[in-house]
Amino acid sequence: MRPWFRSYLLLLRWSAIRLRYLLSLVLVVQIFLSVGIVLGFAFLLPQIDSATARYLATGAPTLGLITIGMVMAPQLVATAKTEGTFTYNQTLPVPRTAVVLSEVTTWLVVGAPGLLLGLLVAVLRFDLTLGVSWLAVPAAVLVALAATTVGLAIAYAAAPPVTNMVTQLIVFIALMFSPINFPADRLPEWLQTVHQVLPFQHMAQVVRDSLTAGPEGVSAAPYAVLAAWCALGFAATLHIMTRRT
Amino acid sequence: MLYINNLTKVYRRGVRANDGISLAVADGELLGLLGHNGAGKTTLLNQVVGLARPTGGTITLLGRDPVAEPAWARSVCSFQPQAHAPLTGVTVRQAIESIGRIRGGHRRAVRRRTTELLAALDIEQWADQPGERLSGGVRRLTAFCMAVVEPGRLVMLDEPTNDVDPARRRLLWAQVRELAAAGHGVVLVTHNIAEAERVIDTVVILNHGRVTATGPPAALAPDRQLRLEMSGTDAPAVPAWALRTSRAGDRLTITLAAEHAQLAVAWAASITGRFSLNPVGLEEFYLTLTANPETNPDATLVS
Repeated sequence: MRPWFRSYLLLLRWSAIRLRYLLSLVLVVQIFLSVGIVLGFAFLLPQIDSATARYLATGAPTLGLITIGMVMAPQLVATAKTEGTFTYNQTLPVPRTAVVLSEVTTWLVVGAPGLLLGLLVAVLRFDLTLGVSWLAVPAAVLVALAATTVGLAIAYAAAPPVTNMVTQLIVFIALMFSPINFPADRLPEWLQTVHQVLPFQHMAQVVRDSLTAGPEGVSAAPYAVLAAWCALGFAATLHIMTRRT
Repeated sequence: MLYINNLTKVYRRGVRANDGISLAVADGELLGLLGHNGAGKTTLLNQVVGLARPTGGTITLLGRDPVAEPAWARSVCSFQPQAHAPLTGVTVRQAIESIGRIRGGHRRAVRRRTTELLAALDIEQWADQPGERLSGGVRRLTAFCMAVVEPGRLVMLDEPTNDVDPARRRLLWAQVRELAAAGHGVVLVTHNIAEAERVIDTVVILNHGRVTATGPPAALAPDRQLRLEMSGTDAPAVPAWALRTSRAGDRLTITLAAEHAQLAVAWAASITGRFSLNPVGLEEFYLTLTANPETNPDATLVS
């Protein structure tokens, strides 16, 4: 365990040094995004009742985490692949799990400030009272993990230009066609069924339930679905990293 | 320390990149791997370090099997890939020190070794510049330092002198030689034959995935032959002592036996003031071997 942890910390430091300029930019973009969704969607809706406010306020940080994990992280991996960083890292004497987990950690850290700021703006904008449960941190971490592992799996598996296009598609689907900022029952039935399997709805639900104790209480099912996506993304990422041509 | 026996690698597309390659590297030996583009040099290195899986044959590294234990192989073997190292956003010093630490070096030892390497390769003035502002040559030298800052028992360098200026190439060769002197096995892929010839112990020439020649450079280079090059001449009658003659534009090249040196100089001086006489090296041997299908029937088989 100790050599593993040493590799993990050194890799974390190595990617932090390499990405520090870029990460500060990503941080700013992500803060704009979380805050922007709260403020922007409010323009779209003439009246905002407390139920809508609850969706918007918790949907914004969820979308922020999705953007970080499934758009920005894969796009940076795509760049790293083009630049040869990906192959270079494969020649280093470090456990592949340490490489993957150090990348995931980087993105978790980058995602945190936007999430908090988005929430703060929502509370101020909508006069919302949050009922933050002890599940808030585990829920946010699980959402970020699921988004990042799936995002990395896509980026590792696909060619860089394909990754860039797929991530655009993901953000489009998440923003417009996923029950994140609005309840699922507004969607056509077939799309509701699709979202039972896709992670987006479940991501929104665990964040919402953990931040604002809803009348229906906390259900375990979305946690299970997200854990499954995490496992799938991590397994796929590791498989591709250890694959030999 | 490294034994490769009958190694074959066929990619999924059906390309036979390595075709029955056998070679050995001893502790402290510097092996130069030469060959045309696509001869299978990089594929060979990738299999040793666990990036590619052999189709057939065996690799034995320090008595163990790197194909079965790729993670272990990476821990005893440091590798400078041909692609540029990831240097965007990091300074030369940060990159070398980070990789030295990741390779298992202790902080102070890595720092000291980094400073020594920067000085030895004369790149101290760029030590604190970020990678994106460096020239190709300095980037390549940095990648070399990253590979050798905490060297494994086996060091593999894939074209380390590309883009590097002649003065620093000499400094780099000296560092490579020092690695061998310290007991590391070194495998060097290069196209810079004329320079590599002076530092390598053993040369292996690959042609279309096969070993076509192997041995010490001095044993492979044609015995005691000289090359006379003249420019700015018309087509003079070729003298009797010429072994081979070739003409490119106004440049005439004649290969001759060493004992005819004086005759050649007198003859050339009577025609033009612009000529040179040099010993024939490994490069000429390499060219005849890889270009002439008669010397090497295998070349025609594969392509």
